[in-house]
Parts: sequence; C-alpha cells; structure tokens
Amino acid sequence: MKLKRVLALTLAAAMTFSLTACGGGSNEGTTPAPTAVSEEDDGAEAPAPAADADEAEAEAGVTYASIKLGEDYQNLTTTIKFIHHKTDREEDGTMADLISRFNGVYPNITVETEGITDYQEDSLLRLSSGDWGDIMFIPAVDAAELPTYFVPYGTVSEMSEYINFADQWKNGDMCYGIGYMGNAQGLLYNKKVFADAGVTKLPATPDEYIAALQAIKDNTDAIPLYTNYAAGWTMGGQWDAFLGAITTGDETWLNQKFVHTAEPFKDNGDGTGAYALYKILYDATEKGLIEDDYTTTDWEGCKPMINNGEIGSMVLGSWAIAQMKAAGDHPDDIGYMPFPITVNGKQYATAGPDYCYGINVNASEENKTAAMIFVKWMVEESGWCDLEGGYPISKSADTSFVFDGVTIVNNVVALEGEEDLMNEMNAESELSFNAGGDAKVQRIVEAAATGAETFDDIMEDWTEAWNAAQEELGIGVLY
Amino acid sequence: MVTQVNTAGNRKGFLQWAKSRKGQQVIIIIAFMIIPLALLFTFTYLPFGEMVGYSFYKMKYVGKRTFVGWKNYASVFSRKDCFGALKLSLYYMGGSIVQLVLALYLATILSFKVKGGNIFKGFMFFPFLINGIAIGFIFKFFYTRGFVFDTVLQWCGFQLDNLPYWLKDQRINNISLVGTSVWRYFGQNMVLFIGAIMSVDAELYEAAMLDGANRYQQFRYIILPSIKTIVTLNVILSITGSLSAFEPPYVITSGANGTGTYFVVMNEIAHTQQKVGLASAMAVVLLLIIFAATILQKLFFKYAFRNAEDEDFNATKRRDKQLAKYAARKAGR
Repeated sequence: MKLKRVLALTLAAAMTFSLTACGGGSNEGTTPAPTAVSEEDDGAEAPAPAADADEAEAEAGVTYASIKLGEDYQNLTTTIKFIHHKTDREEDGTMADLISRFNGVYPNITVETEGITDYQEDSLLRLSSGDWGDIMFIPAVDAAELPTYFVPYGTVSEMSEYINFADQWKNGDMCYGIGYMGNAQGLLYNKKVFADAGVTKLPATPDEYIAALQAIKDNTDAIPLYTNYAAGWTMGGQWDAFLGAITTGDETWLNQKFVHTAEPFKDNGDGTGAYALYKILYDATEKGLIEDDYTTTDWEGCKPMINNGEIGSMVLGSWAIAQMKAAGDHPDDIGYMPFPITVNGKQYATAGPDYCYGINVNASEENKTAAMIFVKWMVEESGWCDLEGGYPISKSADTSFVFDGVTIVNNVVALEGEEDLMNEMNAESELSFNAGGDAKVQRIVEAAATGAETFDDIMEDWTEAWNAAQEELGIGVLY
Repeated sequence: MVTQVNTAGNRKGFLQWAKSRKGQQVIIIIAFMIIPLALLFTFTYLPFGEMVGYSFYKMKYVGKRTFVGWKNYASVFSRKDCFGALKLSLYYMGGSIVQLVLALYLATILSFKVKGGNIFKGFMFFPFLINGIAIGFIFKFFYTRGFVFDTVLQWCGFQLDNLPYWLKDQRINNISLVGTSVWRYFGQNMVLFIGAIMSVDAELYEAAMLDGANRYQQFRYIILPSIKTIVTLNVILSITGSLSAFEPPYVITSGANGTGTYFVVMNEIAHTQQKVGLASAMAVVLLLIIFAATILQKLFFKYAFRNAEDEDFNATKRRDKQLAKYAARKAGR
C-alpha cells in the first residue's frame, strides 16, 4: 500500500514538473503560441478525468454568438473566478472598476479575480491541477490539448464576424481563445509635435518619414527620433520586428524565404525591404535627427519625454502605448502609426492577440454560461482593450487605435522541417535577427554618427556574413 | 583457509595501524582534505575541463554538437573582433599604472602622520565597497551630456560646447570607462600599500633621518624595497585584471560604440550568438595570455628588484670597485 502511494506521488510530481518546464523560455508579454509545447502530452491527460462526461453537454451549451448582452440570463446567480497576469491593473483598481461596471448589467454574477505575478509558469501549474476557477488567460498549451481544458466559443468562421484573431487558439474549426487586446507593430509618435512641425499627413514612405523628422527638427525643440540606443534591446528587438511582411508585403518572407535569400539586404530602389528599413535609422542619424548623446539614453526617462512633447517619435511595439500614456499629463498626444514603408501602394502592419480568455471546461454549466457572458462583456463592452492602447479585438467596439488604410498581415510560420533554420542562420551569421542582435543595429547608429562606414558597406558586410552562414550550414539559395 | 587467515591478519594489522598515532594522523589528514579537494575539483577543475572540451566543438547550449578540432582556436586568432578587443586592454593597463602610482603616492603620504588621515583613507577606500553594477549606473549618469561631470566642469569655467561627449566620442570613451575602474580600485590598492608600509620598522626612518635622508630617499631606499612583494602582487593583479575588464563597459555602454573588451565580446558570442565552442576557445586563449603575462611580470620584477633589497644598483658597483681596489692594495703589499 505504502509503496503504491509513494509511486503515485512521485508520478504526480513528475507530471507537475514536466508541465512547469514547458512554461519557461519565452518572454513576458509575448503571446504563447500553441506550437510551443510538445512534451507535456503525458502529463496533461491526468488532471481532467471528468471531461468526457461533460463534453456532450458543453457542445450543446451557449456560444459566444448566441448571447445578447444585457438581455439574456439576467436571473443567473453564481460566482465565477478569473485568473490573469495583469497584477498592475489588479492593484490600481482598474479590474475592480471593470467588474463593478459589469455588475451594473449583471448584478447577480459575482466575479472574483486573482492577479498572478509569475503568470507564464504558475498558470500552467494551476491549469494542470484543475483548481483555477472559471476563466483564465490561456497559457502555452498544445493546440491538441485545448478541448481537454477549455470551452469552445464557436466556430472560427462564426467568431471571425465578431472578433479579430479568432484563429489564435483553434482546434479543428472551433475557437477556444479570445484575446483581451491585440499587439501591432508600428511607430509611436507624439501627435502634438507632429502638428507643431507642420506634418499633417502621416508619413507612409521612408522619404516622407525622414522629411517629417527634418520638419520636427526645424520647427520644434523636440528630438525627432529617439533611438534608445543605450538600452540595447530597443535597437535590435524593435527594428528587426519590421522585417518580413511589413517591409516586403510578403507574409512568407521572414520565416520561409529569408534564410534562402541570396541578397536579403540589397537596395530595392523603391524604399522597401530590409535595406530601406535600416536605412531610415542610418539617414536619421546622419542628418542629426536623433538624440544628441545616444550613448547615455535612458529607457525610463524617455517615457515622460515623449508624453511631454520632447520626443517626436520612437520605434516601439504597441505594447508601449499604455506606458507612454501613463508617464505624464498628455496621454492624448501619444499616437501610433503604421511603419512608413509602402509596398506597391499598400502599407502593412503585423498584429496578433496578447493573452486570450479561456473558459474552464470542467466548470458547472451555470458558471460556463456566466463566464461566457463575462468574456463577451469584457471584449465588447468594457473598453479594457482600448484602455491598454491595444489593437482592437472586438470588431464592433469603439477603438482609438487608428491604422487607416493598413493591411493587417501575419508572418506565417516556417515550412515543416525548416523551423530551426532561422535560429541556426542567426547564430552562424551572428546577425541574430529578432534574437537579441542589438549590436548590429547599434553599429548602424555608430557608423552614421562617426562616418566610419557607409550604409552600403554595412549591408554588404551583412550579406557576406549571411552568405557565409548559408554555405556553412548547407542551406540552399532559392531566392 | 590460508587466504582467509591472511585477510584476517591484514585486517587486524590495518585496524591496529588505524588506531596508532601515525594511522590517526593520516586518516585525519585525508578526512580533512577530502572535502575541500572534492569541492575544488567539482566546482573549479571539472567545469574548467568541460569548458576546454567544449572549445573543440561547434555547439549551442542545447542541440547536437559537432567536433571541429582546432577550428575554434583558428577563428579566435583570425577574427578581427577577438584580438581587436584585446587592444582595449592597453587602455585598462595604462589606467592601472596611473592607479598604482596614485595609490602608492597617497599611501606613502598617509602612512606618515597626516591630519584627518583616517577620514581620507575611508573616503578613498569607500568606492571599492560599492557593487560594480551600481558603479556602472552611477557613472552612466555621471557622464551623461549636461549631467554631473559636465556641470562640475562648467562650474570650473568650461563651456559645455567645448566639452567632449564622454561616452559617445570614440576617441575618449574608453578613457572615460577606465576612469571609473581607477576610481573604484585605487582605494583598495592604497589600503594594501598602507598595510605593507605600516609593517616597516619605524626606527629605520629615524636612522635614515639622522643620516640626512629626505622623504623621497626614505621612500626609495626604505619603503619601496620593504613592500616590493605587495607592489609586485598589485601590479600583477592589475594587469591581469585589465586583460579581463568587463563590468564598466558591460554596464555603462553594454560594449557598444567601440568599447567592447575581450570579455564583453566573449559574452556576446556565448550568449547572443550561442557559439559556445568559440567562446570557450576564447576563454582558454585568454587564460593562456594571462599566464604568459603573469610569468613575464614575475621575471621582470625579479630583475627589477634584484639589487633593491638593501641599496641601489650603483652603490653596489661602487662598493665592489672599492673592495677590489682594497684587495689589490692588500695583495700589492
């Protein structure tokens, strides 16, 4: 008997650990992708023994589309629990405020919330234990595991009428997750500075952008483009993010074609491609349109500066909007625009959801319904997404996120069997695109400021490194 | 049967030996040594051996490894950034000379009776107590355009327009960084020097003064020879330290803008580019360079302090001459 118990305990412990181990690795703030996890298959089945019995009922239950907010289920009385990673919103009372507004519509549904600091790992543990309440932000689980843990909202095609990114967490053709906000890649700018400089139309090409920066320099006291050079991650991490669909208009370029391209950094001559992207930084530096002493920039210090109109623009993801708005008295001056590269007359932006709401498949029928109502209300009515400055999730809710005339695209994943090529090329060429290659982007600023190298020298150097790596790794050149 | 008896006899002999005074000594020595030796082996030599092994592979932290022989070492020597980074060590070596001279000078002054001497010692030793990362952040603000350093210089009458950008200008940014490391370590060197000078017998100064020696001569012929061990040690530590300079460039400029020292480059290669084999080879090469530098310095000091023990080199010569003359006269008589 004793032996059996010990064995069972050991097994349980091993399963828990195998789950935690999967959670590590990726950065905070990035969206967990369903493909990330593979080893947890053995451990995952154990905690959801009751799933089979309820599954038939669940499928017959309410769907996201069928709920009419404020009309249906007014008499439903229950308590649901929501675990999330936004501890800052838990602390500053935003969460409580949202819930009290929700209770204005549904007074009988009590919502308890819990903010978890180390969400990436803890959420996986909680998920496997089954003891987490009714709604959670879906952590990094395998797409195949979604039905064992979560309730589907409806089919992907049906959900796509209501929300963006319905296919982020899909299994079969069912949608299991709805983002609480979206992230988009573009440029952060100060509307007032642009207006003061006389820039009325947002720049759409590199030339227009440089002209706008020049106008800011000539007509205002603001720093046209603040590079955040010293922080490091603000160079590689942010500029590399535009490689791919934004600069080429081709969704397959970044993850499928880049490694096979002979001259990825050649001048297309029409202000597109990787060349044009990094040329913006070189030109801006050469023309003195960046901060005076770039070696002593301060990340925390730049937030109030752009808020107060001392900075014209910064190259940062949309996740930064909320931080910049919160850093001073002029939140309304902070704007976000698509990256100024136009491919064949079209501007592109990549976007994807942040964490997504998932509803516990093992919750009681009442709680599932209540949770569905709560999620729908959060997405459609709460305005939380907009408050965070996020790219809109709901297709009907009001949003201040304006990306006029921009085509939203997503870089598609690498071909099967080629998933590791990009990593290997990054390491071999030492350019590390989207993988901490800050030094190479800093080099552009240094070269432009000191005149040590021309931009074409740098691009040639990169091409050489890229080609040498292709040869070393035996990667065929196809494009 | 016979063997049984034999082993029994052996066992008895061993037990007896173990109980004897000599046996107890040996057992205690082994028992006491085994823990530190095991720790030393597990945490120093084993990982080092592993690293030497890595340097022959092309590998990342995870994934498969391929044996590449001496290729990593070849690229350490052929790459521009590896040995180019060692040139920066010259800045740090220059800095360490300044640092040692300054420390020795102040230590000599402070080891005589000076008003408020202990306060000065405290102030100058204080930077050594601050964490290196914190120092990095302090100096980042210190050197920022228009911040602390520029403000102080403006009080002294400098115009901001005439002042250089301390971290941006590639001609001087390494000197700025070396400055922080001098600021941090010279106090520690000074305290070591003071400790050594304290151990010099005070009667020697008195005797020297009676003979009419001034302060410089006291320093040259009494203090310096007496503390040569500690001087040698400090020089060796500073030079090897400047070969492996890391904290100031890593924290203040993150190795950008031409300030990437050998260690910073190594860190970038190991962690960003994930070329663990190459980085290991770099570490082994640096170790060999440090060995060579240390041995050369040892030899140099052996030569430099050869005659410094009691008096200067010329005095020995003169005395030898006189002795020879005396001997010749004696022989002539």
